[in-house]
Amino acid sequence: MKEKNGLDEMQQERKNRIGNQSFLLLMYLLLIDGGLYGFGLRWIEYPGNIMLIISLVSGIYVVRLIRNQAYVGPRPEIQRPVRRIFVMVFLAVAVAMAAMGVMAFLGAVEVKAVKDMTAPLLVITSLSALTVAGLTGFIIKRQNKDHEGREFR
Amino acid sequence: MSKNLKMKSARAAKDLSQQELAKAVGVTRQTIGAIESGDYNPTIRLCLAICHILDKTLDEIFWEDEQ
Repeated sequence: MKEKNGLDEMQQERKNRIGNQSFLLLMYLLLIDGGLYGFGLRWIEYPGNIMLIISLVSGIYVVRLIRNQAYVGPRPEIQRPVRRIFVMVFLAVAVAMAAMGVMAFLGAVEVKAVKDMTAPLLVITSLSALTVAGLTGFIIKRQNKDHEGREFR
Repeated sequence: MSKNLKMKSARAAKDLSQQELAKAVGVTRQTIGAIESGDYNPTIRLCLAICHILDKTLDEIFWEDEQ
């Protein structure tokens, strides 16, 4: 009954619905932003406004997926989530460091700018990975919890 | 949609929890709960899988008489 992404059919249906709504929300927010720009109101300089809107809608999308239990599918057993969290954080930090190193080496951006951005980027990347991994582990654990109580019998 | 009490009673007759039935048909416990409470309309594939596990026919579990 599972789809390719591991979700069951009800989760897939919910995910599609939330995805469609998020896409429409994104479109409306971008239209409003464009309208405000047309009236001469610039609340944040480009491309910050676009990034902020996309981040906001992405955040709403993920939160709604988690709330509707359509973020992770049914799994038979938990496979060491703590170990996976550490691996994910390590990989996220390594990729971020490598990307910044390559950018600085190629001179694509000013070294000073790279150095200024490095710390926050690393923190944000690792925190994001940690949060997502932690949430995923928690949701899997909650979904697979064996309910032996009367209400589920 | 009304509650699917037939499915609930068939599951109870088999002494299966929602979690056990969900695992047997490859869905989450929440999906089984939603079907039983009438909040979700399952596909025919899932209906058949549930019927096979509960040893019932589609009619016995999912047929609704018109009121």
